[in-house]
Amino acid sequence: MTDTPDLPKDAGHRLDELKAGLFTSDLSVNEFLLVKEAGFHPLGFVMGSSIYHTGIQTRKWGQSQELTKLTEAMYNARELAMTRMEEEAQELGADGVVGVRLDVNYYEWGSDAAEFIAMGTAVKAEDGTSYLNKKGKPFTSDLSGQDFWTIMQTGYVPQGLVMGTCVYHIAHRGIGQALGTVGQNVELPNFTQALYEARELAMTRMQDESNELGASGIVGVRLEEKSHQWGSHSIEFLALGTAVTKRDGEVTLPRPVTIISMDN
Amino acid sequence: MSDLIGGDRSAGGGPAGDLPEAADRRLTSGAFSSGLTVPDFAACLHMGLRPVGLVQGFCVMQWGWTGQGSIMRGTSPYSTAGRSGSYSEVFRCPHGYVSAEHRSFGQNFDQPWVEQAWAQGFGSAYGRLMEEAGEAGAHGVIGVVDTNRHLADLNVTEFHILGTAVVVEGWDPPPGTPIWTTSLAGQRLGKLLEAGLMPVSVVAAMSSVRVWASCMTEYLMSGQAVTWGQATGTDEVVQISKAHMEVRRLARDQVRGMLGGDSLHGARLDVFERGGEDQVIEAVLRGTRVRRFKDVDPIPVPKPTVSLA
Repeated sequence: MTDTPDLPKDAGHRLDELKAGLFTSDLSVNEFLLVKEAGFHPLGFVMGSSIYHTGIQTRKWGQSQELTKLTEAMYNARELAMTRMEEEAQELGADGVVGVRLDVNYYEWGSDAAEFIAMGTAVKAEDGTSYLNKKGKPFTSDLSGQDFWTIMQTGYVPQGLVMGTCVYHIAHRGIGQALGTVGQNVELPNFTQALYEARELAMTRMQDESNELGASGIVGVRLEEKSHQWGSHSIEFLALGTAVTKRDGEVTLPRPVTIISMDN
Repeated sequence: MSDLIGGDRSAGGGPAGDLPEAADRRLTSGAFSSGLTVPDFAACLHMGLRPVGLVQGFCVMQWGWTGQGSIMRGTSPYSTAGRSGSYSEVFRCPHGYVSAEHRSFGQNFDQPWVEQAWAQGFGSAYGRLMEEAGEAGAHGVIGVVDTNRHLADLNVTEFHILGTAVVVEGWDPPPGTPIWTTSLAGQRLGKLLEAGLMPVSVVAAMSSVRVWASCMTEYLMSGQAVTWGQATGTDEVVQISKAHMEVRRLARDQVRGMLGGDSLHGARLDVFERGGEDQVIEAVLRGTRVRRFKDVDPIPVPKPTVSLA
């Protein structure tokens, strides 16, 4: 039985079965084979969930601004889900979690509440080498099995799925402003600056997370934008990627050979 | 932020120093970030390219489709564009005078004010991407992708360009060497280099043609089989066909003007139509300007393989 109080009882039972040797995984057959080829064995499908009330923040009609309370809420909710998934992986004695997906679900029964879910497949090195990250926790990564194999061959090791978020309110345009530029195709520098700042903040926060892990870089960075249920003028900018560190050892990735496919 | 207007897009942006504060901090933090997929990242390392950061640029433009001059230009059958390479063509009615409502003439004409606005939005965003690349100490930017979209419920369009800034290992270019850019990455970039070509810069242009339908175009587009004794069941809609040909030509001409004698590689032409009989047709042509730096290596002898994927 698990001794992690944060996880539900049924999770403990499921994890105990996994510890007995059975494994579950959402890896495809090709991914499974490549994870094995990289020297890792899947231990089990792990997940974490958090239902979070995201609350309300007043916004000024004509002013572009960061909605800090919503930013913090989106951040904390994902962190809780990720931490619970990491706890499940730790319970299994995993070195890391691959193929992590982060989803947000809304339900009819909970206005302003959202479920944040993190899930992936816990893996462990077969040769006993520890791949725990700088914080002593299993690494997390949104890399597929194929990507995981490739990155390991380049001498880089995943450290953690890092993210940064920024919820931003885009100002409405007043009648005066709209009339001032009516019929013209011109840049609106205030809007450019506001949106630029919002995305850069999200990316900076993501890089801050990778620095905390002592990572040398982040691969596969994605920038996602969603308005969730806040209306079109409030947008969440989310930056996500896998922090990696260069490990000692030679690059074992074979030199690519040019292939000209005869398919279209 | 610089205001690099389209055209000189390989020059590397304008005066630096007005990027958002967060951008400065992010680009000087030490760790690299990369928007490349893992296979592209691995291919990049094999090519001797080291990623130094994900770089981006934005520009939000007010977007009015009827810019200054469009009304005169649209209603007068005799208006001409007044610049070289432009397009204006009148389509006359074959029926003679019928009624005041009858479309006795139609016209196609290009809309340079829309093209210039697009070039300004793209050019400004690109200039800012180049500023970020310069700040990151990059030699080049690979995997450049641009998008533009309508923002919220405002009459504005946002241009967004991003790519991964890279340093060429062991290369020490003289000061002032322009930063090269390309939309290619991974195997496509590798094949380009194997073919003896090097990327110079991303090039892109948009052209826009407005169609005011003549009576014949109106009948053909609305599917009327016989009008005024003339069969119009299956026939070419000449006015629309010409608009499509010209909008593509205009985009190609603009891009050709940016190549400076170099070649275009990986060209992608997207065409959009808005409206029915009276419509606006737009074309956006994107690609990478490339230059030969060595003779082409012979390609390997083809070897059939069977994929299990």
